[in-house]
Amino acid sequence: MIEIQDLTKRYGRTVAVDGLSFTVRPGHVTGFLGPNGAGKSTTMRTIVGLDHPTTGTATVAGRRYRDHAAPLREVGALLEARAFQKARSARNHLLALAQTHGIPEVRVDAVLAMVGLEEVGHRRAGGYSLGMAQRLGVAAALLGDPAVVVLDEPVNGLDPDGVLWVRTLLKTLATQGRTVLVSSHLMSEMAVTADRLVIIGRGRLLAEASIGELTARAGVGRVLVRSPQATDLRELLVGRGATVTSAEPGVLQVDGLGAGTIADLAVGRGLAVHELTPQHASLEQAYMELTRDAVQYQDQQRVMSS
Amino acid sequence: MTALAGHDRVDYRVTMGRVVRSEWTKLRSVRSTWVMLAAAALLTVGLAAAFGYGYGQQIHSGEVHPSTAEAASAAFLGLDLFALVVGVFGVMRMTGEYGSGLIGASLLAVPRRLPVLWAKALALAAVIAPVALAVSVASFLISQVFAGSHGAGLGDPGVPRAILGAAAYPVAMGLLGLGIGAILRHTAAAITVFAAALLVIPALLPAALSQQAQDAVMKYLPVVAGQAMFDLGEAGPVRLLAPGAAAVVLAGYVIVLLAGGAALLQRRDA
Repeated sequence: MIEIQDLTKRYGRTVAVDGLSFTVRPGHVTGFLGPNGAGKSTTMRTIVGLDHPTTGTATVAGRRYRDHAAPLREVGALLEARAFQKARSARNHLLALAQTHGIPEVRVDAVLAMVGLEEVGHRRAGGYSLGMAQRLGVAAALLGDPAVVVLDEPVNGLDPDGVLWVRTLLKTLATQGRTVLVSSHLMSEMAVTADRLVIIGRGRLLAEASIGELTARAGVGRVLVRSPQATDLRELLVGRGATVTSAEPGVLQVDGLGAGTIADLAVGRGLAVHELTPQHASLEQAYMELTRDAVQYQDQQRVMSS
Repeated sequence: MTALAGHDRVDYRVTMGRVVRSEWTKLRSVRSTWVMLAAAALLTVGLAAAFGYGYGQQIHSGEVHPSTAEAASAAFLGLDLFALVVGVFGVMRMTGEYGSGLIGASLLAVPRRLPVLWAKALALAAVIAPVALAVSVASFLISQVFAGSHGAGLGDPGVPRAILGAAAYPVAMGLLGLGIGAILRHTAAAITVFAAALLVIPALLPAALSQQAQDAVMKYLPVVAGQAMFDLGEAGPVRLLAPGAAAVVLAGYVIVLLAGGAALLQRRDA
């Protein structure tokens, strides 16, 4: 379990994380979402003590990461694509990390096999492709058989096979009862991997919900209406305060009125309706809706600083 | 995913001994460590042979009177080169981790951080010390062979101490490099500062100081203190500390720089 409480991180005058609080529970894959620059990486680095919080706390299993006697047994983290020296073999890289905890060499070979690098483990890690480097990072994260796994954008730059591999791995880890926190700036990726979502923007919490709750919450109630008397129907609905747009003749997109109300109004006027479909907002739309302000702010900052 | 076998019964705590082992693995598992040490050692011993030959020639031509001090001075002149290489190596122990991103993985494994620096210092000293001792002994012996009949012997007064001093000097330089690397984190910056502080400043400083000031100040510079540890007197133009005092001064630099590096390592975001 990861608990973030009132976490704030400032770099000079820039506020990367701003009073953030959330909890990540075991047994689920928790997606950590936000636009680029939202503060995801900073938050993750704070969880494992690489960055010091300005105020607030981040704890793992009730303690600061650095206060655990065997930290790699608590948290396995993949934070950078290449956190190794090029001249060293993957196996020796993992061995050096394992030795800090007295983790035996057989475990090093086991995690190499787990990520599919057993054949190339003796080679210089500098010659690895991005995909292989990412696998080595995952191997390092799994070294201590940790209760909590934290992965920052693990599918970035991976080929489709690699993406599928990471998804399966995350689900397996969660099924084993581990706490899994994985960041991404793509809702489409999280939609297929995560059970729960923590969404942040500009360092602040925007939503903490299950995938289902989020779509429900963002069900903005647009209704698609098909009618041979679309022009009359449109006038009627606008008169009742709806916003109506039309992409093609005879088809209306109605915002602001429910499907039931629209049907009742049409019947009252004797207007024919051939189709009446409530449109559920996709997860992607819900995410865009939530983060719009944060993204605009980022863009403004970029324009102002360029 | 298979579990870490029997982890409930085994103690996986991070201990100083374990971190030292880890750092030793990092050190030995990169081929450049051995290439660099071997190349620097051979070059230094080769220089000692050349300096020994030159010393023999100077005696023949009557420019220099034969003495143990002169013979030792010729033998250990090349140690500055070895110390420079080892110092850069020490810098790289730390800056290499920042440059590659390995530091993140290292500090995830040892989030208390300071053991990483202490273990690096121990592993570094452990790899340099035996090589430095071998270089020091070999430099002395080969230099005396090339000096001919006027060479000094291993049993001559002060010679064993000078050999030990010449072996300790590169170890201290390596640790100074490590400290500077921990403070500055960037390879180019740290190597520049190391070379400037240890080699350039001692060469330029005399031009800015009166003879009196030179005598008062120069002997406290790290390189000059290092040289004092293997000096047998009456050889150089610069007034030197006694070997014991020089060792204390050099150790002081090492402690101050490593402590500075430790404080920053602890405080900064990685």
